[in-house]
Amino acid sequence: MNPGAVNRRTALLTGIVAAAVGVAFGFLLTASGLGDYYTIHNGLLLRDPYMYLMIGSAMATASLGLLVLRRTGGTWLGGRLTLPRHRIQRRHLYGGAVFGIGFGLGATCPGMTVAMVATGGLYGLLVLAGLLLGLWLRGRVEQQTAPAAAEPTRAQLAANAARDA
Amino acid sequence: MLGVLPAQLPWWVTGPGVGLCVLALYGLANLRLGVSGAWLAATIAPVERWRGERWRVMFLVGLLAGAALAALLGPAVSVHGYGQLSVVLSPPLLVPVLLVAGVALGYGSRWAGGCTSGHGLAGCPAGSPDSWAATITFFAVAVVVTLGLHALTGGAL
Repeated sequence: MNPGAVNRRTALLTGIVAAAVGVAFGFLLTASGLGDYYTIHNGLLLRDPYMYLMIGSAMATASLGLLVLRRTGGTWLGGRLTLPRHRIQRRHLYGGAVFGIGFGLGATCPGMTVAMVATGGLYGLLVLAGLLLGLWLRGRVEQQTAPAAAEPTRAQLAANAARDA
Repeated sequence: MLGVLPAQLPWWVTGPGVGLCVLALYGLANLRLGVSGAWLAATIAPVERWRGERWRVMFLVGLLAGAALAALLGPAVSVHGYGQLSVVLSPPLLVPVLLVAGVALGYGSRWAGGCTSGHGLAGCPAGSPDSWAATITFFAVAVVVTLGLHALTGGAL
């Protein structure tokens, strides 16, 4: 196959894998009852261990599996395995705290809200609307606080014009 | 709706199952699972005029379908309120409170570079320090907010 066809095939298979994993993830999230307000609320009140046991065992399973994946090193469609490894910045703590306020107040998170709506918790649609608004708002703020880096300077524009000519 | 599934499968089924989802995306396609990133790519990217990655959109479509499938196989679905919040708050107050909660989730997850799934389920097992910091903050703040509201409302919330 020519490189273009190989790329198209890889992109197609990657999309299928992502959709299939999405189905499994959405199914498990809903079948675990995490879309139920009281499961999360009682978890955050430290009265129901379900949420912690589930997330803890998910993290343990993924950690053990990654021990194996790290050793083999390769992936089926995505080349060599590259795992995230980033240092801690202020935004992780500030953003994490703002997220935590929403998590505590609404007893839900971006994935759990889908499970909530699917099982009849239609008020969850308001949380989803807020979620999208919040994502957009943060984008606006970032755009306004860092315009200098995004917009090319007069000198850069001149250099580009010279190069393109 | 069909009642084939219970309302809550045991944690030792759903937890490892979710862990396998994270592993499948890493091992098959070298991708990091994340729900807030999927929402961002599918809905906000077109508004901000950048191309959201296709796999994230596919993941979100799958997520919605999987949730619908579980609801179909689970107990009878009835439209219901918002737990204790809709007991304590009348609808004119409940609506803005839920919108604010949603805005905090969206704003915070974009600021922190991920949510409970991207940082908690996928980043932490990879050993990324930022994910541990974000995840510990998510849960610590959520527990403090919940216990605080519980105390302030005399146990009503």
